[in-house]
Amino acid sequence: MAIEFQKGSSYLHRLDARTKIMMFAIATVVVVVIFDPVIMGILFLLLYWMGTKAVDRQYLNKNLRVLVVIFLTFSMFQILFFTPGNSHFLFYLVPGKQWVPVTVEGIIRGVAVFFRFFSVVLSVHLMLYSTPPVDLVLAITRRTETRELLKEVRIIVGIGIIFTVIAFLSWPDEIQNIPLGLELRVLMIALAALVLAFIFHRMLTSGLPPEMGVALTLGFATVGILSQQTQKITDAQKARGYDVQPKNVIRRVQVLTALLIPIFLATLERSQDISIAIMARGFDYNIAARTYRRQLTFTADDYIFLLIMVALLIAGMALNYLGIGNLTEQLILAWMGY
Amino acid sequence: MSFDVEFQNLTFTYEGADQPAVKDINLTVSPGEIILITGPAGSGKTTLCCCINGLVPHFHEGDLIGDVLVREHNTRRSRVGGLASLVGMVFQDPESQLVTSSVADEVAFGPENFGVPREEINQRVADALRATRLEGYDEREPHTLSGGEQQACVIAAVYAMQPEIYVMDEPLANLDPEGKAKVLRVVVELAKQRGKTLVLVEHALEEVLPLVDRVIVLDKGQIVRDGPVEEILEAGDIPFVFTRPPVVRLGEKYGLTPLPLSSQDFYEKFQTCYNVGNIQWEDSSQKDFKVGMQVIKIEDISFSYNKNPNNQREVLRNISLSVGAGEMVAILGRNGSGKTTLVRHIIGLLQPDAGKVVVLNKDVALTPTYELARDVGFCFQNPNHQIVSFNVRDEIIFGLKAHGVDPGEFDSRIQESLEFVNMLDYIDAEVFDLGIGQKKRITLASVLSLRPKILIVDEPTTGQDPRMVLEIFEIIKRLNDSGTTVLIITHQIDYAAAYAKRAVVLDEGRIKFDGPIKDLLVDQDLMQASALEMPQITRLASLMSRHGIPPWLVTMEALDQAIGKLVETSSNGH
Repeated sequence: MAIEFQKGSSYLHRLDARTKIMMFAIATVVVVVIFDPVIMGILFLLLYWMGTKAVDRQYLNKNLRVLVVIFLTFSMFQILFFTPGNSHFLFYLVPGKQWVPVTVEGIIRGVAVFFRFFSVVLSVHLMLYSTPPVDLVLAITRRTETRELLKEVRIIVGIGIIFTVIAFLSWPDEIQNIPLGLELRVLMIALAALVLAFIFHRMLTSGLPPEMGVALTLGFATVGILSQQTQKITDAQKARGYDVQPKNVIRRVQVLTALLIPIFLATLERSQDISIAIMARGFDYNIAARTYRRQLTFTADDYIFLLIMVALLIAGMALNYLGIGNLTEQLILAWMGY
Repeated sequence: MSFDVEFQNLTFTYEGADQPAVKDINLTVSPGEIILITGPAGSGKTTLCCCINGLVPHFHEGDLIGDVLVREHNTRRSRVGGLASLVGMVFQDPESQLVTSSVADEVAFGPENFGVPREEINQRVADALRATRLEGYDEREPHTLSGGEQQACVIAAVYAMQPEIYVMDEPLANLDPEGKAKVLRVVVELAKQRGKTLVLVEHALEEVLPLVDRVIVLDKGQIVRDGPVEEILEAGDIPFVFTRPPVVRLGEKYGLTPLPLSSQDFYEKFQTCYNVGNIQWEDSSQKDFKVGMQVIKIEDISFSYNKNPNNQREVLRNISLSVGAGEMVAILGRNGSGKTTLVRHIIGLLQPDAGKVVVLNKDVALTPTYELARDVGFCFQNPNHQIVSFNVRDEIIFGLKAHGVDPGEFDSRIQESLEFVNMLDYIDAEVFDLGIGQKKRITLASVLSLRPKILIVDEPTTGQDPRMVLEIFEIIKRLNDSGTTVLIITHQIDYAAAYAKRAVVLDEGRIKFDGPIKDLLVDQDLMQASALEMPQITRLASLMSRHGIPPWLVTMEALDQAIGKLVETSSNGH
């Protein structure tokens, strides 16, 4: 059941950890921007297709299946209660009283909501399945590596351009009210986007202090060992003639407390061991100047992948800007003769 | 300064302890020296090691008098992390020192801390894995490795830090013979090739003595002997503190000089000194052993942990075994051969995929573990997993309560069981205050208090000094004499042979040998194939078997007697 890293060499596995974190972040924004259930469904299927390439389909389904009921409930709520005011009625669920209307818009958006939640969850799953936890931690840890100024400037300008495009797509009325020439207004927007890009980039690259990063890494490595240890302790108590799963509830609590002492001691002992081990290996030598064996590198694949994600985001916004964000809804309504 | 490590009048008392752990230590270690530190449990060996890398006094707090200098650094004023770049430390239990999720990360951890550039880290990882023969293990998860591989991984991790001084605290204690040989070879090669200083703490004198320059014997926190190997060996034994390997003692008795360190060495020297003939040896120990009714019956069982049919790896394959009442069976084999898995079936902690286990006429598949536990006592490898109380008396009562023993009997049962393990004085002790050997005996006592008909003991002697090993085997032997059936998993084949009559050897989940342990000892090919280590005495006996000495002797007394007889036949002795 656990959502954990699966070894593999698929396209997703080869992507950089940072790309996959970005994938999750952008996917979250994309699903907010896109309303259309068909496009949402296609996006979901695309993600799912990538997932089947990366991990066993059964494993993928097993962890998604749990969520189906929850997300169907969300859709239900959307269909029943969150209907826009000027929607087109189909029928009432409680006919006599004319309660709980079901509308065309409600159903269409309900379907979209279902795919929307699933896409976000799936993107998190894919990230976790295809990235070793160590890499994820490394991606969010602050590293003191020599920075290349030119490269950084390029990245910031890149992000700035994306923000500018987004700004033009939204083009709110307020901007018309600024008493300046059009060129100056565009320049202002571009500058604002650059500042935003700089802050954004800084936020992304600063990350956790290294000691926290290392602590997280060690934590991930310890989970397996501790669960192994718990199993051993439970076995030891069974072998002493202790019924570890009695039917009586009070007995069960007593049993748990009896197991807790050795488990607690084992955990304490383990943490003591770890601190001795890392001290003896120079952990407090100079934490700020720590280096890393694992290297996160962007390849062409990463850039292309990110570009596609960003393009999706902008395309979603463009659709809304052009007024065809709900194309399916409009088509169905047109077909129905409204 | 010409010394790598210098102790100046060092006395250290742990916080809360009454007695100093080490007292008035004056010691200098020159660069390139290979030193063995030995002594009984609690003699301060580990404390001494921790003084060198600064864990004492920076991590283990207490009262430090005197100074420790590592090169020009006073440990009192240096950080552990700083000293780590000079002193590489390997502890006893490899599992507790592996902190990351892959072998390569583990080895890189030290250099990463030192801020070594990435290219060099990768180079060092590759070098370290090659030196410790772990090539190709880069992405393996450390806790899935065998004990020997884990310890090799820890050593690789220390090697990659390129320290000047290696300090190893019982690196062999938790390993099977195969692992021991591997790790020892790696350790000594490393130190000699790089010309580094090596401080080695060990009980396994037989293996280590031939490789070191100097021996230090510690007792009760003080240095009682310090000198070159030959000198220390000639000075004789110190009862309960320093017992030389049997070959050395025999060598002394028969006047071989210089004292031999290995069986081969002994035999060569013996041949030059004596011109011996042949003896007749009557096997007096070959008594008929009565085996009672069958108590454990294992019929053709197979088992694998992974139930997924695609990548099933069977840990047990078609095992059949039957044990009679009152037998003592030693279960032998390398780490990962299925020994623990097998005995877990007897008490129902595991159920076989195929086959059947019957214990005392109860089908294990149909009887819950807590019911089987009434008749089958099970002692686990790590006593900490078994102990649930803070107090020795409570610990034993816990088991008695779980089995619904009449509270009126508690006192007599506690007395009886503690007496059996010689721990009566500790009846009200706190469990935390006990050492590992004492904890082990407490877990034995709590199992014994239930008066089991069958006792299963899983590696009762790991990480203990020779005296404690002997005590535990004596306890088990007494128990067996009083009629309890005993199954014991052990790597100590010399003790097993001295106490058990029957041996079962497992190899890759199959029974490779099942019969009298004597027959096993003379089958050198089988011993080697199953990674069993021939005891030194037996190795010597088999070398001398052409003179009529039986090759299956395991105790020094028996061999001594035999050689004594042989010497009498000598025509031109000394």
